[in-house]
Amino acid sequence: MKTYNIDVLKDAANRLLFDMSEAEYKTLLNEFDIVVKQMKLIGDNKGLDAYEPMVFPFECTTDYLREDEPGEPLSREEALRNSPRKAGGQIKLPRVVQ
Amino acid sequence: MIFEPVIGLEIHVELKTKSKMFSNGPVTYGKDANTQTVPLDLAFPGTLPTVNKQGVVYAIRVCHALHMKIDNELHFDRKNYFYSDLPKGYQITQDKRPIGSDGYLTIEINGKEKKIGIERLHIEEDTCKQLHFKDFTLLNYNRAGTPLIEIVSRPELRSGEEAMKYVEKIRSIVVFSNVSDGKMEEGSLRCDVNVSIREKGSEKFGTKVEIKNINSISYIQKAIDFEVERQSKIIENGGEVLQETRRYDDAKKETLPMRLKTDSVDYKYYPEANITPIKLSDEFIKNAIESCPELAESKLKRYMSEYGLNDYDASLLVSDKEISEYYDACTKFTNAYKLLANWVNVDVLGYLNKNNIVISNFPMSPEHLGGLVNLVAKNDVSSNQAREIFTKMIEENVDALKAKQILGISSQISDESMILNVINEVLKENPQSIIDYKEGKGRALGFMIGQVMKKTQGKVNPKLTNDLLLEELKRR
Amino acid sequence: MNYRELSIDELHELLVSKKVTPLDLAKEAIALAKADTNNAFEYIMEKEALEAAEALGEPEANNPLWGIPFVIKDNFSTKGVPTTGSSNILKGYVPVFDATVVEKLKAAKAIAIGKTTLDELAMGGSGITGHLGRTYNPWDRSHSRIVGGSSCGSAAATSDGFVPFALGSDTGDSTRKPASHAGLIGFKPTWSRISRFGLFPFAPSLDTVGIFSRNVKDCAYVLNALAGRDEKDSTSSTKPVEDYAKDIEKENKNYKIAVIKEIEDSISNNVVKDAFKKSVEDLKKAGYQVDYVHVSNELLLTLFPTYFVISCAEATSNNANMDGIKFGPLSEGKTFEEVMLNARTKGFGELIKRRFVIGSFALMKENQNELFVRAQKNRRRIVDAINDILREYNFIYLPAAPGIAPKFDDASDKLSDEYLIADNHLCIANFAGLPSLTLPIGFEDGMPFGANITGRAFEDKDVLKISYEIEKLTGLKNLVAKGGQK
Repeated sequence: MKTYNIDVLKDAANRLLFDMSEAEYKTLLNEFDIVVKQMKLIGDNKGLDAYEPMVFPFECTTDYLREDEPGEPLSREEALRNSPRKAGGQIKLPRVVQ
Repeated sequence: MIFEPVIGLEIHVELKTKSKMFSNGPVTYGKDANTQTVPLDLAFPGTLPTVNKQGVVYAIRVCHALHMKIDNELHFDRKNYFYSDLPKGYQITQDKRPIGSDGYLTIEINGKEKKIGIERLHIEEDTCKQLHFKDFTLLNYNRAGTPLIEIVSRPELRSGEEAMKYVEKIRSIVVFSNVSDGKMEEGSLRCDVNVSIREKGSEKFGTKVEIKNINSISYIQKAIDFEVERQSKIIENGGEVLQETRRYDDAKKETLPMRLKTDSVDYKYYPEANITPIKLSDEFIKNAIESCPELAESKLKRYMSEYGLNDYDASLLVSDKEISEYYDACTKFTNAYKLLANWVNVDVLGYLNKNNIVISNFPMSPEHLGGLVNLVAKNDVSSNQAREIFTKMIEENVDALKAKQILGISSQISDESMILNVINEVLKENPQSIIDYKEGKGRALGFMIGQVMKKTQGKVNPKLTNDLLLEELKRR
Repeated sequence: MNYRELSIDELHELLVSKKVTPLDLAKEAIALAKADTNNAFEYIMEKEALEAAEALGEPEANNPLWGIPFVIKDNFSTKGVPTTGSSNILKGYVPVFDATVVEKLKAAKAIAIGKTTLDELAMGGSGITGHLGRTYNPWDRSHSRIVGGSSCGSAAATSDGFVPFALGSDTGDSTRKPASHAGLIGFKPTWSRISRFGLFPFAPSLDTVGIFSRNVKDCAYVLNALAGRDEKDSTSSTKPVEDYAKDIEKENKNYKIAVIKEIEDSISNNVVKDAFKKSVEDLKKAGYQVDYVHVSNELLLTLFPTYFVISCAEATSNNANMDGIKFGPLSEGKTFEEVMLNARTKGFGELIKRRFVIGSFALMKENQNELFVRAQKNRRRIVDAINDILREYNFIYLPAAPGIAPKFDDASDKLSDEYLIADNHLCIANFAGLPSLTLPIGFEDGMPFGANITGRAFEDKDVLKISYEIEKLTGLKNLVAKGGQK
């Protein structure tokens, strides 16, 4: 596992596109210590690897697939109503440099 | 040092479904920006994905054409990253269990067949479209969620030409199977190329460079050839190839750096819990495969074995799905398959080129063309007459008989005994010409045919007349 | 007239006999909501509610929800009504579509009165992390106690008698824990029994729509309206639904009930323990088989970290759509990254940011096996152990919480067995997708506390039936908080 410290956590936060206060990073580091310790303990259980990782609460395989029928689209007004960056029927951002 | 290029391709194909892969938003082209979305496409909170059946059918068709193992259960994962064009902050894709794995396709290089391995094919969704201006970028979500399949080759391609042929083949498959428009220029087929070089015989891979944004099949070869040359020069000069993403500039005919790949992005893939596993029954998979229209490869074989076409004609017909479909439609009205192929490949294509239109706008129905070909086949009209009729048919929007009538062309005489009578008449009247012919004077034959034509107002079938006259002369 | 303590059946009778109109009920509920002192509301749907109530027409004798007011946790999408998830990142967001459950309740002609506060984006159990601050427990007039979260506003509004039922959501215990603190029924049905379409996702493999009510039968009525397949949620179950209220009073003495000894033992509060033991004795006396069973402490201690890692990991991805581009307040920036970073930095509260970092760390390629995948494996280990018990027993019966609602400044020791087990065992039902219901069994210092009954997947009706029995035995139903009343 990746080693972690305040800088690693800051980097992780920035990759999630937000920042936090210094105090919060300290709190986070403490929380991290606890979780990592607890997860280590779970890993100490020898039989654990025999268990298939559980994604769904119970067996729920389906055969449902949606028919390919388009629904009524949102009007442009509805689609963009909530955007703080709407401009001329589109959403406007600072130039995205590729 | 002899270098060997190692090339792998990642091809994204937009599927032409009616609705999006995970929402019922319409899939359309050319509509006003942001008028073709439903809440999921804009990632409004609380929206949930549902899997488009037709998207799955299309993916299965391509898997089958690429000889892949088809998973009988669908599993989806999330690929997590942030980007301006990615509404949800993740893309729904298939990481651990792609629908197709372990396939291949065959390309022909210098007359020899080569199998190119295909690692995987998975279903995913498109991002929104960005339009870049000098100071800002506009986002249009109409495209967001459009179904995509990604086809990942093994790094088994060894030249720009091989790569180009591989892409051509993939394009042919997705177009003929009715899965996609397959237009690189319009982005419905997109190709990312990974190129590295290594010493020939080496097992190790060199530093990989990715080339993005190649928007035409012909540029694939050019971009790769340039890149191989560039990398070879760097290594020959003792340099080191940088791990980076480059783009192909078709004006400069070279690849240019876009960005360095300093550390690879961790997409934090994990299972999509909003879609439970979906069982694909054997019957469903079978139906998806059987509902697939005939692919180019099979058509080519059929044209050659059943219709007796040569490789050139057959290949030309299947190089375009609509043309081959037009040809197929015509075969319902004539059995003169070879002649028909000639007419489609020469006259029809010529007309399309001259008028700069596509086959779907070609005004002559398959039934009409078939009728014309039949006239030619039974020697009712000469080839030259037939061309006149062809033009008239289009002008007047009529069938071949009607056009022939308008043009006042009367049917050729193909009755052998009738023609023989005239021939014998001409021979009797021109004994000197027989002598001239026997002495090897070439013009004599032409003169005699001319006489036959004169006596019949040019209505005899010229080839038949020629054959009969030669036979008759042999006997004298 | 005061309708606050009436059940749905009682209100229904008044409505059908036209002694009261839906408009009367809506008006009273709105007046109460406006006078709310517990910070239960994000938005009061005055105009919408009055219009809907006026438009109802003739009473429907066979529709118990006709004209009944209710409130909606503010993480359900409501068309044309602001929905914030109690987060600044969604300030001003007005959805263009209704959640399926909202649509269904509208179709059942129940009247939505307002949107209620929650822990920010449903991540939290205290009811203090929403952008409007603390939500108070109506049972405590001094405003010193939490009502619990994350469905704090729905719990407060229901226990204060503003409405007879409310929508909540439950990812770990977000409906069932506040129900315990507020003297309510809190029901988390089987995962996939109710469509999640329109519920803001926290951790989809655990998320379930929750129901608050003041008696068991009311809860069954609401489930009747909500349960069923929805093609907008492809995970929703195609299994047929039942009439969950019908014959709810019919006893089934064949039910077998298990109590996990180690969980009961982890509780130090004797009032809670004694009340629970008494409830067990009462069930036995009533003729039910109740046995103590065992799950190792070692396994129980893994409940919380397993839940924490899975839910944080899923949450970080589910909230990646909140970036200030398609919705949310305007944020500035010279690049799109700056725009997104500013939106998210300002928009998210500190607690959930920490959870996002932990979740994303757990998903990183180099960590995933040791954190996320390990938690997923352990989830199965837990679920297997629970299902082993449920093969033999119809239900698992336990105290819902280690005590009454804590005070705001009570700091629990996050590493103690009591915290890790007694305070966090309700997530078992989320791990296994089981129907699980909390109901009141006693009081301490005038504050209620509850017990929890968990059944087999899709045996929601049995859970409601045994709960009805327990309710009969305790006599605790239609409780309305006295503390919050003026």
